Amino acid sequence: MFKIFKNISKSLGGSGKSAEGKPAAKAGSLLDKVNKGAPAAAKAEPPKSPEELCGITPKMPKDEVRAQLKLLFRRYNRSASSLDAKLRAEADKMLDAIVQVREKHFGEI
Amino acid sequence: MAEYVGIDLGTTLSGLAYLKPDGNPEIVPNADGERLTPSVVFFESHEDVKLVGSAARDGGEPDRTIFQIKRYMDDPEHLVEIDGKKWTPAEISALILSKLKRECSKICGDITEVVITVPANFNELARKSTIAAAEMAGMKVKRLVNEPTAAAVYYAHSQGVKGRILVYDLGGGTLDTTILEVNGEQIKILTSEGARHLGGSNFDDLLLEAYAEQYKKQTGAALYSDERHRRRVLHATEDAKKMLSKLQRVNDTVANDQNSGIARIDLTRDHFEKMIRHMLTRTVFLVEQALDSAKLKPSDIDHVVLVGGSTRIPKVKTMLEKMFGKTPKSCGNVDECVALGAALFAKKSARIQEVCNASYGTLAMVYNAKTKEEKLMNTIVIPKNSIIPCSRTQVYQTSEDNERVIEVDITQGEDEDAKFVDVIGRITLDVPPNRPKGCEVAVTFSYDENQRVRALVVDKQSGRSKEVAVTYKGAGVLSDEELKRRSQHLRAMRIE
Repeated sequence: MFKIFKNISKSLGGSGKSAEGKPAAKAGSLLDKVNKGAPAAAKAEPPKSPEELCGITPKMPKDEVRAQLKLLFRRYNRSASSLDAKLRAEADKMLDAIVQVREKHFGEI
Repeated sequence: MAEYVGIDLGTTLSGLAYLKPDGNPEIVPNADGERLTPSVVFFESHEDVKLVGSAARDGGEPDRTIFQIKRYMDDPEHLVEIDGKKWTPAEISALILSKLKRECSKICGDITEVVITVPANFNELARKSTIAAAEMAGMKVKRLVNEPTAAAVYYAHSQGVKGRILVYDLGGGTLDTTILEVNGEQIKILTSEGARHLGGSNFDDLLLEAYAEQYKKQTGAALYSDERHRRRVLHATEDAKKMLSKLQRVNDTVANDQNSGIARIDLTRDHFEKMIRHMLTRTVFLVEQALDSAKLKPSDIDHVVLVGGSTRIPKVKTMLEKMFGKTPKSCGNVDECVALGAALFAKKSARIQEVCNASYGTLAMVYNAKTKEEKLMNTIVIPKNSIIPCSRTQVYQTSEDNERVIEVDITQGEDEDAKFVDVIGRITLDVPPNRPKGCEVAVTFSYDENQRVRALVVDKQSGRSKEVAVTYKGAGVLSDEELKRRSQHLRAMRIE
């Protein structure tokens, strides 16, 4: 199986960081990698709070919390329409957590 | 023949409109005299007939009655089994569309080509299923158009407004938001965003829980024990929801089917609004996302337009008024404007500038020179909201010496994290042997006005290339032959 690499000159996802193509070890298809992307150990972990699920720490400034919630909402709202049923189920849980964190930190609508 | 026809294939209600000779759209009633047809199908057991609409909704046999099939248009595993035959969501939808076509054509003339509306965030499979449903019903789909876009087109036509409009479309099953710019006859769509499973039926479910809880408290018994009775109570909660948009308090009495007694249900608007608050907060997120996508602030919006039956809920209006500092306006009859707009769109599509519904890209390993980390990423070639038609190219490199085959996974989705996008196709290109790593491969995506995407992969060194139509061909998509066979079968059915 072969892979393609992003052009050296292409910036890394608009973050401004430089990125360059580099060979990597042969592996399964990229698609396989995506499907295996979710950590298998996640099931064994104790339940997380909405903040933990959203990666919000107690001392995080409000602006950062807002930005993180927006990013997560965009990601999981899209995932709620994914072709992957598991991802859709995960998205529902995450969207609930995102709303809870918003209401806690920024008040109810 | 009706030349310009639009269909709103809704989660709870469907409607068909056509463009009259004077250029104004009009809803065409079904043979039951209703302007909108409930999106419900009932498989009659005694006669070989499929009932669609109000008769189906009131049929009373839950095992043979199909509600809200639109929610499953992208689920290849969702099959409805009736009398040993398995029906796909596209086939059930085709029955609804067949009723509309057969009955409305008696009023407006033959219907052969239509514009059908879909939620903004309908994925590739759901869009394909919608097209398949129309074809099974004997109609060619001229275009699929996003529901809020259709509503906005109708609003701009009927109100003669100018400026930036935000459409907030909260229907039975989905929320859609579109921002557009209107200048006379010219309409530019800036962005469309959608949320799945967020609509009036979710509110009904919450009310149903409240009913069940109050019943249990008063009688100690469960309010319903089977689907038939659950449906009856759900009907009552829908009525209560509508009343709470007009009144501050609603009283109802309910009983279960086990003679456990009658309970008095007391609901206030305040309580109902608290129940649905979480969902409304999600709608605020989506509106903010649309503003961010269009790089606009709330103050940049000239008109906020309400579409969909659930926008009758007073809290929706107050919430948006608070957010935008202006009173939202209703798009005429909020239940009909999507179908009316679709009919207008059928004629005016050339004057409407649209954008891509989703981002398209490929999966690639990306090496970050600073962190020395290598990561599998979704690299976007055409970003969502690009003005269509458009064509974009991105160049990649091969990773190893002597690569013989280049595989390009085609993705749909905005996220950089490959886990959060859909892989909807793959192009495989054979290349000559004995080449070093680092050979350049150009990937070009083209998106046309019919929302068709093509991908071209060119190996720069050898000049070899391959071009394909980017289209989801995974589970749930019928082959052309199967589609034809099912179409013939469906056309012979009695649908009332």
